[in-house]
Amino acid sequence: MGVIGRVWVGARSLVTGLGVTGRHFVRRPVTLLYPHQTPDASRWNGPIDLKIFAATGTHDCIACNACVRVCPSDCIDVEGRRPEGSKKMRATKFLIDFSTCSLCGLCIDVCPTDTLEYSTRYDEAMYTRPDTVNDLLGRFGEDPYLAGKLT
Amino acid sequence: MSALQGWLAGYITWTLATLLLGTVVIMGFLTFNTLFLIWLERKVSAHIQRRYGPMEVGPHGALQTVADMLKLLGKQLLTPVATDRFVYLAAPFLIFLPTLCVASLIPVSGAEAFAQMPYGLIVIIALSGFTVIAIFMAGWSSNNKYAVLGGMRSVSQVIAYEIPILLAALSVVMLAGSMNLREIVAAQARGVPYLLVQPVAALLYFIGITAETNRAPFDIPEAESELVGGFHTEYSGMRFALFFFAEYTNMLVLGALGATLFLGGWLGPWLPGPVWLLLKAYALVFVMMWMRWTFPRLRFDQLMTFAWKLLIPVALVNLVVTALLVSGAG
Repeated sequence: MGVIGRVWVGARSLVTGLGVTGRHFVRRPVTLLYPHQTPDASRWNGPIDLKIFAATGTHDCIACNACVRVCPSDCIDVEGRRPEGSKKMRATKFLIDFSTCSLCGLCIDVCPTDTLEYSTRYDEAMYTRPDTVNDLLGRFGEDPYLAGKLT
Repeated sequence: MSALQGWLAGYITWTLATLLLGTVVIMGFLTFNTLFLIWLERKVSAHIQRRYGPMEVGPHGALQTVADMLKLLGKQLLTPVATDRFVYLAAPFLIFLPTLCVASLIPVSGAEAFAQMPYGLIVIIALSGFTVIAIFMAGWSSNNKYAVLGGMRSVSQVIAYEIPILLAALSVVMLAGSMNLREIVAAQARGVPYLLVQPVAALLYFIGITAETNRAPFDIPEAESELVGGFHTEYSGMRFALFFFAEYTNMLVLGALGATLFLGGWLGPWLPGPVWLLLKAYALVFVMMWMRWTFPRLRFDQLMTFAWKLLIPVALVNLVVTALLVSGAG
């Protein structure tokens, strides 16, 4: 190819490139203005959380320790006690160390009462190592079973 | 009487005060222009990459560059130990002064912006070649290998690309029969914009000013991946800002000169002349930004080959053909 041919091919490629960037210039941005707009995280598998059942308004953890045994990262710590006049245990402590959790979901699969689930939180950040331990019972307050309000 | 002087003469009659005030007005406008162009550059780059760009400070981030400027004003001015001190301190001002002079020579509507000059075109081209000295001064005096390399690259690049600019402008001068920018615009008012008569010269001029202002794909003097910051590596705070200021002022001024030479300058319906000139200049600047975010940087030998083996021969042929046609018609 002679000089003129090469110049022609090069010039045409430049115009093609300008066309590509020009097309993107007039399209809508694909990014979000993060703190003001948040992404749809409804299908996101975030840190493990306790499910709230509509019928009881609380979780259904019976402190069976199945999740503790199955956890490959050994990051779950559960304690419980039996409310008076009940056959089932209730959890009094449910900690997951998120710094070692690999979100494998085995605890969710193994849970006999189906009370574990992935949350949709995606922007967790903390300053100290102890903060990485999530207290799953923290948001529940007083347990209605242990207080004797539900049986 | 230049446009600004004529406007000011309605209020004050003392010549020195007119000069000072006119300088202040031009400096104010150029500062505003720099802030606007940096904001525009960030917005253009963002939207080409499907992002939003600055959005937080002011509506659509319009005050972001003002905040940046205030930050730069507050920064400490660092001077490296082994610099050539006088040259190092003089370079930021010397790079800025020619662009200020050139800005005052562009005709805005029937009269030059601030200074009158019968051969405006040749003065403008001479003055804009002056910035290369300041760039080399900055690179040499910084006592930094990257800065020296950036400065040397800048010299060889600007010298190479001045020639096609000059030859492209010369073919316009031949058509208009004058080096006076007002005459050139007046000649386009009688006929058509020279873009239609001289498309090759217009293209050569545009490529030339892109290289002259060190813009991508010709931003080799400050190629950040190879040379850190190029010639302004060792400059900080407001001294660095002056280099930025000069670059964006140069873009506008050479864009306005291109608009004058090829797009009919201040001519246009409905709107007043200065608005038309600015619109055309900003359109050219926008294309330069568009190119920056599209094309990869040239290698240095490709850059030189492009200028000496392609642009200059094409410009010469274009000049000879123009000369033949003009003398044939005349």
